[in-house]
Amino acid sequence: MNRLGAVPLALLWALPLLLSLALLVPTALDGAAWALALAHPQLWPALALSLATGGLSTLIALAISLLLLGGLPRSRVWHRLQGVAAAGLAIPHLAFAIGFAFLIMPSGLIARLLIGGDAPPQWVSVQDPWGVALTLALALKEVPFLLTAGFAVLSRGDAAVRIKAEAQAAASLGHAPGSAFLRIVLPPLLRELRWPLVIVFVYGATVVDMALVLGPTQPPTLAVVIWHALNNAEAGVNAMGLAMTLLLTAALALILAGVALILRLGRQAMHRLLTAGPSPLQTPRLLAALAGLVTVLTVSFALFILVLLSLAPRWPYPALLPPAVDLSAWASVPPATLWLSLLLSLAAAAVAVASAVLWFETHGARHDRWAIALALAALALPQLASAGGQYKLLLPLGLTGTLFGLFLAHLTPVAAYVLIVLAGPYRAFDRRYVAAARALAASKLSAWRRVKLPLLKAPLLTATAIGFAVSIAQFVPAQLIAAGRFSTLPMEAVTLASGGNRPLTAAFALALAVPPLLAFLAAALLGRPRWR
Amino acid sequence: MALRLETVSVNLEGHPLIAPFSLAVAPGEIVTLMGASGSGKSTLLSFIAGDLESPFTAAGNVRLDGVTLDGLPPEKRRIGRLFQDDLLFPHLTVAENLLFGMPRGPRRERLAKAEAALAEAELSGFGERPPNTLSGGQRARVALMRALVAEPHAMLLDEPFNKLDAALRQTMRSFVFEHIAARRIPCLMVTHDQGDVPASGRLLLLKDAMVTDA
Repeated sequence: MNRLGAVPLALLWALPLLLSLALLVPTALDGAAWALALAHPQLWPALALSLATGGLSTLIALAISLLLLGGLPRSRVWHRLQGVAAAGLAIPHLAFAIGFAFLIMPSGLIARLLIGGDAPPQWVSVQDPWGVALTLALALKEVPFLLTAGFAVLSRGDAAVRIKAEAQAAASLGHAPGSAFLRIVLPPLLRELRWPLVIVFVYGATVVDMALVLGPTQPPTLAVVIWHALNNAEAGVNAMGLAMTLLLTAALALILAGVALILRLGRQAMHRLLTAGPSPLQTPRLLAALAGLVTVLTVSFALFILVLLSLAPRWPYPALLPPAVDLSAWASVPPATLWLSLLLSLAAAAVAVASAVLWFETHGARHDRWAIALALAALALPQLASAGGQYKLLLPLGLTGTLFGLFLAHLTPVAAYVLIVLAGPYRAFDRRYVAAARALAASKLSAWRRVKLPLLKAPLLTATAIGFAVSIAQFVPAQLIAAGRFSTLPMEAVTLASGGNRPLTAAFALALAVPPLLAFLAAALLGRPRWR
Repeated sequence: MALRLETVSVNLEGHPLIAPFSLAVAPGEIVTLMGASGSGKSTLLSFIAGDLESPFTAAGNVRLDGVTLDGLPPEKRRIGRLFQDDLLFPHLTVAENLLFGMPRGPRRERLAKAEAALAEAELSGFGERPPNTLSGGQRARVALMRALVAEPHAMLLDEPFNKLDAALRQTMRSFVFEHIAARRIPCLMVTHDQGDVPASGRLLLLKDAMVTDA
């Protein structure tokens, strides 16, 4: 065992992350910042909006995901759904939000399809004051994430075989399939999904880029209020933004603690429900099929309309298709921005995977607890907090506005996801294969390269693709650390989305969505086993 | 209560695994069907229980108490099953596992019934324990009681002693057979172990797709 194997992960990821969070402590003690924050007229309504959109979207996403996991038969549909979920997962939130906006806006595709008429309907859909558009978009976008996490739990090890046997046992005890799912499969599943749910809730309640595109404006969500404060030229306003971030974080923690408490107190009542006896409850297959269809159609139409719009300089209402297409919007996407985003993301994904592998190879599984806990903290904390702290860390070091600083900003969330995704497969690897190779006179390195690497090919490629997709979507840390010196795809897309150039906005959103889709596709193709 | 199979056959992708045969199991009787692994005997139990899956197909009729089970989903057939594994639900306590299949009713009565079942299995006081704190033999006894308190009209045993160690197996056999016989439930067991066959029970052999009396 070589201690030095932890150095890349520690120096590039863990240490900066811990220091960034530590730098938030002075803000917590900054009386002036708190006074400004608490005096802000939009603070409480904005906080309420943030909590409501985050909470509701999480509940809707959970309901749809459970319907799909429990309501669809374990057939080919179920297996194909895993691929669809992976594709949905790959699309950055921002790209989906822009496509979703083009779907639901008064002159959007839905109005053209369902309403028609000579002029667009007078409805307030995008940026509605109640946050409905934001909530729905968040919910639909998080379904693939929760589904993927659920699929992983339900197919881990011998889980699939065990669940089938338990379902047979439940049926022999008089429980119809719906009741068996509710009483046997769901309780352990929900337990396993608690971290993904926390991540989804915190993300939804603190998201900035989606809220800028789809969210209300008077007042906006608290994340947007904070965002404007952090980008203000005045240091005092910046400090107020950080204080608000801490307040938002505390509110989220309080809600999560409340939910945990209610679940604990309600345990007795829950178990009474679980053991009330046989029930003829069926699985709501029709509802499940409907929910799945709505989700898949919305996401694919959101992508489809991006393609159409990016090719249409003119598209009068109520035509279903643009009268003419040209490539001018595509030609206007600056190659420098595209290349910067692609190379940064490739570098972040590659470095994250390499550092994680180095960590796994040189440290035993018992040390993983700390790495995984830090990774979960990085994902479960609002990005405004970690990125705000990171800015305070990198500014005095002269790293803001540098390429290396920008790389570090991308690496923070990427390494967290890569660690979590890789830990399971890497630790489950049967070491006897390497021992067998060594016994056949292979060197340590050659055994790793010729036996372990090919056997772990699929999870390593998937982790790289996830890292790439996470990286290319980064908006908050990228914008803060770039300090106006660099421009990545999400930054340009957010700016454009508030302007009137729809073809160019669509082209940027597509430039954001296509690379991660290709990365997932490549990982799936290259990671295929030689035979099944 | 009686279980009747009428010209039942089992096929795998068109090839016969079990040629048509008929069988009547009287209340309290335990009939054993012996055959090698892969002979299709577990598939026969799946057909009777109602959860046969492709690529297997089956034909013939199954009657319980004179009523045909054709088209009924597994949960409506009132057929209890014991599997190779005890399949106690790990997120429920021992008592909650018993309550799971017990017919609905006033909670106090149901709890008393669960307690009585535990006493019968010499497991009084184990109700609040999680299943994974019980020994293999204790778990097997809970699994049987869980099936019985669901008040089945027939029982299917799928090599239920296979995974128990040799010392436990003999006591568990007599425990299971006594309880099933005492409740006058018709019971069909499949196994490949000659030792599983109860002394007084009927024995059928499944060989070359034919079911014959031993």
